Amino acid sequence: MPKITIDNKEYAFEGQPKLLQFCLDHGVELPHFCYHPALSVPANCRQCLVEVGMPVRDRETGEISRNDDGEPIVRWGPKMTTSCSVDMADGMAVRTHRSSELVEQAQRDNLEFLLVNHPLDCPICDQAGHCPLQNQTYKYGPEGSRFEFRKVQKPKKVVLGPRVMLDGERCINCTRCTRFTDEVSKSHQLTIIERGVKNYPMTPPGEVFDDPYSMNVIDICPVGALTSIDFRFRARIWEMSSAPSITVTNAKGANCSYWVRDNLVLRITPRANPHINDYWLPDEDRATYARFNEQRPDGPRIRGDEGLQPADWETAYARASELLGSADGSNILFLGSPHATVEDNYLLCKLAAALGASPPAYIPHVKPGAGDGWLITDDKAPNAEGCRRLGVRPVDPALVRARLEAGEIAALYALEDDPVASGLFQAAEIQDIPVVLHTYHTTNETLAAADVALPAAMVVETVGSYVSEDGHAQRVWPAKAIRGVNRTLRMEMGVSRLDSHGTPFDRWHNAANQVQCKPSWEMLPNIARGLGLEWADASPKEIMREIAQHLGAFEGATYENMGSSGVRLTEIGTLA
Amino acid sequence: MEMALFGNNESGKTDAWRSYERALLPPVRDLHRFDTYVGHGGYEALRAVLTREEWAPGKVIEAAKASGLRGRGGAGFPTGLKWSFMPPVEPGKPRYIACNGDESEPGTFKDRQLMEYNPHLVFEGILIAAWAMQIDATYLYVRGEYADWIRHMERELATLYDKGYAGKRILGTDFSSDIVIHKGAGAYICGEETSLLESVEGKRAYPRIKPPFPAQKGLWGCPTTVNNVETLACAPLIINRGAEWFAGVGAEKHPGPVLYGISGHVERPGVYEYPTGMLITDLIDKVAGGVRGGKKLKAIVPGGASVPVLRADMIEGVTMDAESLRKAGSMMGTAGMLAMDEDTDMVKFLRRVTRFYHHESCGQCTPCREGTGWIENLVTRIDEGQGTLRDLDILLELCDQMEGRTVCALADAAAWPVRNTIQRFREEFEAKCRQSIYAVA
Repeated sequence: MPKITIDNKEYAFEGQPKLLQFCLDHGVELPHFCYHPALSVPANCRQCLVEVGMPVRDRETGEISRNDDGEPIVRWGPKMTTSCSVDMADGMAVRTHRSSELVEQAQRDNLEFLLVNHPLDCPICDQAGHCPLQNQTYKYGPEGSRFEFRKVQKPKKVVLGPRVMLDGERCINCTRCTRFTDEVSKSHQLTIIERGVKNYPMTPPGEVFDDPYSMNVIDICPVGALTSIDFRFRARIWEMSSAPSITVTNAKGANCSYWVRDNLVLRITPRANPHINDYWLPDEDRATYARFNEQRPDGPRIRGDEGLQPADWETAYARASELLGSADGSNILFLGSPHATVEDNYLLCKLAAALGASPPAYIPHVKPGAGDGWLITDDKAPNAEGCRRLGVRPVDPALVRARLEAGEIAALYALEDDPVASGLFQAAEIQDIPVVLHTYHTTNETLAAADVALPAAMVVETVGSYVSEDGHAQRVWPAKAIRGVNRTLRMEMGVSRLDSHGTPFDRWHNAANQVQCKPSWEMLPNIARGLGLEWADASPKEIMREIAQHLGAFEGATYENMGSSGVRLTEIGTLA
Repeated sequence: MEMALFGNNESGKTDAWRSYERALLPPVRDLHRFDTYVGHGGYEALRAVLTREEWAPGKVIEAAKASGLRGRGGAGFPTGLKWSFMPPVEPGKPRYIACNGDESEPGTFKDRQLMEYNPHLVFEGILIAAWAMQIDATYLYVRGEYADWIRHMERELATLYDKGYAGKRILGTDFSSDIVIHKGAGAYICGEETSLLESVEGKRAYPRIKPPFPAQKGLWGCPTTVNNVETLACAPLIINRGAEWFAGVGAEKHPGPVLYGISGHVERPGVYEYPTGMLITDLIDKVAGGVRGGKKLKAIVPGGASVPVLRADMIEGVTMDAESLRKAGSMMGTAGMLAMDEDTDMVKFLRRVTRFYHHESCGQCTPCREGTGWIENLVTRIDEGQGTLRDLDILLELCDQMEGRTVCALADAAAWPVRNTIQRFREEFEAKCRQSIYAVA
């Protein structure tokens, strides 16, 4: 296997990796700005300079010449080279700043240049705290500045499009943004204009940067030049925490991080996953964070003489059990949900089976033509595939209607969905039958007919698994705390929150903005026990282990296997 | 033949140059017209290479090598060698020449003369090179400011196509090759060979990382050779008069006729065609009529603004060829000589040069983008009497920080004049700096 020597340490490598990527993969940190693993290599920031040499070979034998100590004699290149653009070769020798003063000096010089015209506005810059320029200046940059002139003035507060704003002065011309629109999203909506030190990215004349993936340029911008119009000045990065999760805007299962401050989700950013979304996230996935914060219920409600009234959890569970127990089991309509986790749907299936009802069906949320064949799917719910694999089929509205008219629906149990808003029923039609509803929002139209309304934890508050359209099973971690005690959630939160910027004693224990809700996997066993079933409380991890053991469609989908990037389940044919 | 007089390096130091007969810009009236050009033996070299067995493509490249022709665009790379870098012909993969007529360096204006007075020599040279490397199309990249000459070359090129000298089945042979005139938009960086390619492709002219070199991946990823206008104009001379003749003109290791563009404080500025290897002193004193107003010479920039400046006391016996100029501490560049008399303020000179590079840096690489502006700021401050000696040190350090750390050579080109002007005229810079408030150690 070919070998390379970096700072006198030998590494074996395969294929033809670029030197910078190889170094980053092997824990040899090198400062860089323009290089991004998913984009072409322009080598324009000049920050990752290293010394590169090749061994001297004997002209006749082709053998590597060695000195008296038996070490290869290396002929170093006349100039330093950008490691991002170097193709590795057998026998190559590399000196980074760890072993070369020249490289160390070059990195410092280059950072000095980068900072010459960079505004010193870190205290009000959104990028501060997770800014590659800031971080690398701390590590590799010069102290102070020798530049005593006016900095170049460029346009600021430029609205490039509906979601992205440009501060031209902060731009260091790495061209990651233009390369993203040219090579990844292929909208070609950004280009560099002007020349030299006045350069900055801009849209072509008359063009609006409305690329459905436009906000990715904010993530890859190594400075605060491109910021989110929505998130600008909303929160400092070190006051927030993020948790690894997936987006639930559609069925792609794109990996993301939910950023939370004071139990409010403030933004959603992509999390790299080569199996699904690489480094990217569509704008529509990021735009919907408000649904985790707004119109959330404040505890369970049960219907009394004056409509829905607040109740405590025990009372609400008891009332739900009572209503279900009084109906003929086979006449209870159970509705699963593609918004709910695999575990929640599974428990609902078990409950339906225990009561002798037919298996739950789910209401599909498909908008034909909305997808783009990449990260946006037609299906606007995250877990339809998970439902199908559990045997939860799309609901047949005609059948439901027929059963309703024949009086064969004695009760309705709806999991984390809105049958009325979806058009399955009119609120008046189910007014007279008992309705138990797990709901996310107070705007749920089925609440008008609900007898027991149980606030359910959303993806940012729960632990559970989802299966993407492509059959990729992934688990999520809680990103924000809910009111009340759930030991599983507490434990999971301890490991999920990437407190890379925060402190251990934090704002998440602060009751403000905590939603009074519970995960459905906690509620369902309580209701089952009220019906006389012997259900023990089980954590989602245990539930998933049971599912993976008993259902072939979920083989191998344990939490251990899913880890943080999920597992691809085997095809199950055309179940739907 | 009188040309034999230039057979060695010493010959340039005699007066033999006076009898040199111009070959690139012969004194023929209306030579830019197709008929006149053909009437004076034009396109015979093209006819020869296309029809005669002895001029198979490989033979033309060998002749170019044997002639010792070196690029006239500034870097002075051996042309025949460059041509031989082209990979073998691959079916379905087009091959290109990019002919560089984007001359934009201050002090350089010689390609303009060729394109104005002898465009057909350029076209003929292009077509000979096209034959030598089996080229499908040539893009003649001309700087946009040459609007008049672009129009006039387009007219002549149309005639060339009409007469069957370019395009399909040239001169009735099986060889086809196109010439396209591409108008630049006025950026110095487009003269850098790979950013010229980007510009032809319709992209922003950011230089490319090398390798891959243009011969491997040039225009649209296909094999491409980039040659200067004057370089290709030498090709017909080599075919017509032989590689030996060419090698015998001027300096031994840098032979051939060359266009000297002499400007600055001389009596008769202009473009002069003479052999390489001329004494700088002859060019200034005899060819260009001496320093204006009988003043003394102070400095010479021998090859365009980016090459190191020479003090008047450094040019004794120095001839205009790569070897001699390297020994003297400068370079041949484009042979665009800039003469400065004793009254010249070298700080002002440098201020103007740094302003140019600041204005023309494409902004792709950090050191050049940020360094050129900083340097101009510092030089301006010194020129305005507000600089300090520390500024001079910073200037030299900035040169270190820029040189050899960018994608293309523009950062080097911007740093060299700064380093050399300060080193060679330091007392002038120090005189303009404010007095140091610190005691001199």
